[in-house]
Amino acid sequence: MDAKFISRGQLPEWLRSLAARFAVLAPARAGSSVIYRPVDPEAPPRQPELAVKPTESAKRALFPLSEALLTFVKNQPDGKPGLELRETPPPRPCLVFGLPSCDARGFLVFDPVYAGSGTAGKFQDNYYLRRREQAVLIVKTCPRPLSTCFCNWVGGGPASTEGADVLATELKDGLVLEALTGKGARVLDSALLRPAADEQLTAAAQSRAASEAAMPPPVDISGCARALRGKFDSAGFWQGHSAGCLSCGACTCLCPTCYCFDLSDEERGSRGVRLRSWDSCMLPLFTQETGGHNPRAAKAARLRNRISHKFSFYPDLHPSLPGQDGHIACCGCGRCIRSCPSAVDIRRIVTEALGTAAEGAE
Amino acid sequence: MPNNPYLPQVATVLEVIAETPDIKSFRLRLDDEAAHAALRFEPGQAGQLSLFGAGEATFAISSPPSRKEYLQFSVLRAGEVTTALHGLMPGDKVGVRAPLGNHFPYDDMKGKDIILVGGGIGMAPLRPLLLFMLDNRDDYGKISLLYGARSPGDLAYMGEIREWMARGDLSVTLTIDREVPEWPHEVGLVPQALDKLSPSPANAVAITCGPPGMIKYVLQTLKKLKFADGQIYTTLEKRMKCGVGICGRCNIGDKYVCIDGPVFTQAQLTGMLNEL
Amino acid sequence: MALREQLKKMILEVLPGVDCVIGWGAGYDALHAAPLFMRAPEDVERFLSGPLGAFGAVQNPALFLPELAGKKIGLVVKGCDSRSVVQLAAENLIKREEVVIIGFPCEGVIDLHKLRNKLAAHFVVNEPGGVTAVNLAGDHLALTAGGQEYTFKRDEIMADKCPRCREPNAVISDCFAGIERRADNIADDYEDIAALERMSLEDRFRFWEQEMSRCVRCYACRNACPLCVCRDHCAGASRDPHWLTQADSTRDKFMFQLIHTLHLAGRCTGCGECQRACPLGIPVLLLKRSLGRAVEEMFDYRAGLDTEAKPPLLTFRVEERKIKEREW
Repeated sequence: MDAKFISRGQLPEWLRSLAARFAVLAPARAGSSVIYRPVDPEAPPRQPELAVKPTESAKRALFPLSEALLTFVKNQPDGKPGLELRETPPPRPCLVFGLPSCDARGFLVFDPVYAGSGTAGKFQDNYYLRRREQAVLIVKTCPRPLSTCFCNWVGGGPASTEGADVLATELKDGLVLEALTGKGARVLDSALLRPAADEQLTAAAQSRAASEAAMPPPVDISGCARALRGKFDSAGFWQGHSAGCLSCGACTCLCPTCYCFDLSDEERGSRGVRLRSWDSCMLPLFTQETGGHNPRAAKAARLRNRISHKFSFYPDLHPSLPGQDGHIACCGCGRCIRSCPSAVDIRRIVTEALGTAAEGAE
Repeated sequence: MPNNPYLPQVATVLEVIAETPDIKSFRLRLDDEAAHAALRFEPGQAGQLSLFGAGEATFAISSPPSRKEYLQFSVLRAGEVTTALHGLMPGDKVGVRAPLGNHFPYDDMKGKDIILVGGGIGMAPLRPLLLFMLDNRDDYGKISLLYGARSPGDLAYMGEIREWMARGDLSVTLTIDREVPEWPHEVGLVPQALDKLSPSPANAVAITCGPPGMIKYVLQTLKKLKFADGQIYTTLEKRMKCGVGICGRCNIGDKYVCIDGPVFTQAQLTGMLNEL
Repeated sequence: MALREQLKKMILEVLPGVDCVIGWGAGYDALHAAPLFMRAPEDVERFLSGPLGAFGAVQNPALFLPELAGKKIGLVVKGCDSRSVVQLAAENLIKREEVVIIGFPCEGVIDLHKLRNKLAAHFVVNEPGGVTAVNLAGDHLALTAGGQEYTFKRDEIMADKCPRCREPNAVISDCFAGIERRADNIADDYEDIAALERMSLEDRFRFWEQEMSRCVRCYACRNACPLCVCRDHCAGASRDPHWLTQADSTRDKFMFQLIHTLHLAGRCTGCGECQRACPLGIPVLLLKRSLGRAVEEMFDYRAGLDTEAKPPLLTFRVEERKIKEREW
């Protein structure tokens, strides 16, 4: 596949040119955070913030914080009861530039669920699937891990190409861009890019190797699905780990793999929208039944569900290779840890469930 | 169902039946006649009913597939959406996503004695099963219905229940929580009435649906009566949104009540994680 | 005896009489502390065991009191935390006799959002999570990241609430470790609010639109607030009345902050947990401070100083001294 090079100076211009064809998101600094901001083709070119791992995940590119699924009009012009429903038209194709590999791997957790794995494909979420099909993900090699990073525990790595269309690796003066898919190759077809020279490719490979080497060795968490199932009824285990939890949604909102949502209506007069918006299993109302019963009224039960869903329920439902644990619904980005006001550490919960010492988890 | 699982079909309210002070049944017909004719559902399946503006909520389909002229939902007024639904009048438009979930395995129940145990709004999913069985009466053995509510006025479907009581081919027992003057039927909680009836587990299945507290004690009574876990069926209620196994809230471990349920045998529930 | 040792000794003394003592333990890395729930004497070893010591004790343990109501709880508190305890007791949200308060003279805590901003200037370090070694010596914090050492003055990475803190010692305590810090010469000039108010209304609105645009509605601000009592009946989720849209609307997110702020008028003690907890570093404390100043000026009242006081907006006087409605 193609490998190109773009100088740092031309990068903003290239992103602006892509914004003519895609809704482009690129990391930008906002206060003490780095978030994914739309690239405005009309605004002056801006360097994306590439030095810092984005504070939020890139999931909003394919799973917006809130989106209208349907619009409705309730009354006919003559005032008689009516109901006209319209599906929201497909959005512009999206391109995310500079997301870390963990963010791209996060979407691999969304994919089967939204393709209807629960109903053998009978019910498919086309709002997600059509975004996914058109999206171009340009992953950037992570230069060095944060104290919260553990992508290599769950099958990832700082230069993982899974789920990505282009792999970007930073050199001193620019980026080497290597196409991984046809979609990726098409976005690299620009006069602003020039073919990568051999020494640039070598330097990029060395940079990736250095990134891999900078990762502390992974902790073996195979068997976590079974271990967490075994811990399900250990009230003390979950009460202990959830004692400091505030029951907020910081962990789930910033998580690249948390895909749960709410549906709600908003209306003005006789018109309105049905919205799908992010929801969080850490909030008590998530499972509150109309009749008053709440199966996860305690924060310990909610934390148990979040961790078990990622490391036990989801892997059980999504087996990978025979003899291996299923696909873990966590990409090891560590955002739930570093965004948690109480520093609740998902790694510690999993490793303690496994009964192994959290080596390398510092 | 259309290609978009979130897109309801537009339906018109044909009839509103006030079953009790807080339960109303709504009989609906899909506006798209071809879609209505093509509608296939089974007893025990659920549907999502939308009153646009208020939102959407999940209910058991309470009409049997053998009566095709309408699709019925019985709604207990409890929250925002159900309160709004209670304001519906004939001619009003609603959205329907149905059918969703699994159903009572009525084929497996053929040739067996059937014991239906319902409490309050829990009669809603039992009604289509019972009507289906009555429409195919020869396929089943003895059919018994035990139905209870707080007071006589809280028993839903009483018009029909009187007809059932007049039939000779099923036995109906009604019970209310506390004694009231001139009540000719049982008094006491459903589990106690069940204990008194003491149905035989031989070649029988019991299907129970009602509030969580009732189910818990009905299960204990059935165990005492020597019903095996595989002979007991129940339906679960959870907060649901998408109804198609995606939005992630109605799970018990790796089972999603919206797609793996709502019908479970007690044997299945025993094998599941304890988070009802 | 060092402060930590004194506190540990007090915790061990309190421990047998309570369900647990809440303090701070080491979190997942050297810069992050986590709330520590000490139930057994061996748990006390983990108290303030991180390299930042009490400088890293950022969380407000008073937050956990309402959910533990009915149990006897020991609580290690900074001055600001103690004001939350007082306010909770004043509003009958907790029972004073159910809490054993262990106070100490607080010398300020770190602000990791501030540190993040400082680190962003250094291309190589860029994140607190990239820091591999920490050494707090006197007034300086030395950090190692990417093989290099960076030194910051303690004051420049301290939370803004600390230098202006008028109650560094617990305002209420059952036992107190160390010697009280003098603070009678410290005043809060509300310069941060004044600076914001010097902006034109348009600029100020743009400032808030810009800040709030990155809100993801995780409600960490709400849930980290010890005085936020609506719980499951939050205006952010209520459908009836339907205050706020679920659409991704910056203005409604801002509106939520304004509602939160108004609910806290005369109740907020300025502990700053809302802002600290925000994973995206939105400066929501400014809003609360603005109203806190108004309450202080109008009612001569600061929340969380007296368990017997009535918060001015939870009561009324026929004639308010500074509200001259009859002199129009």
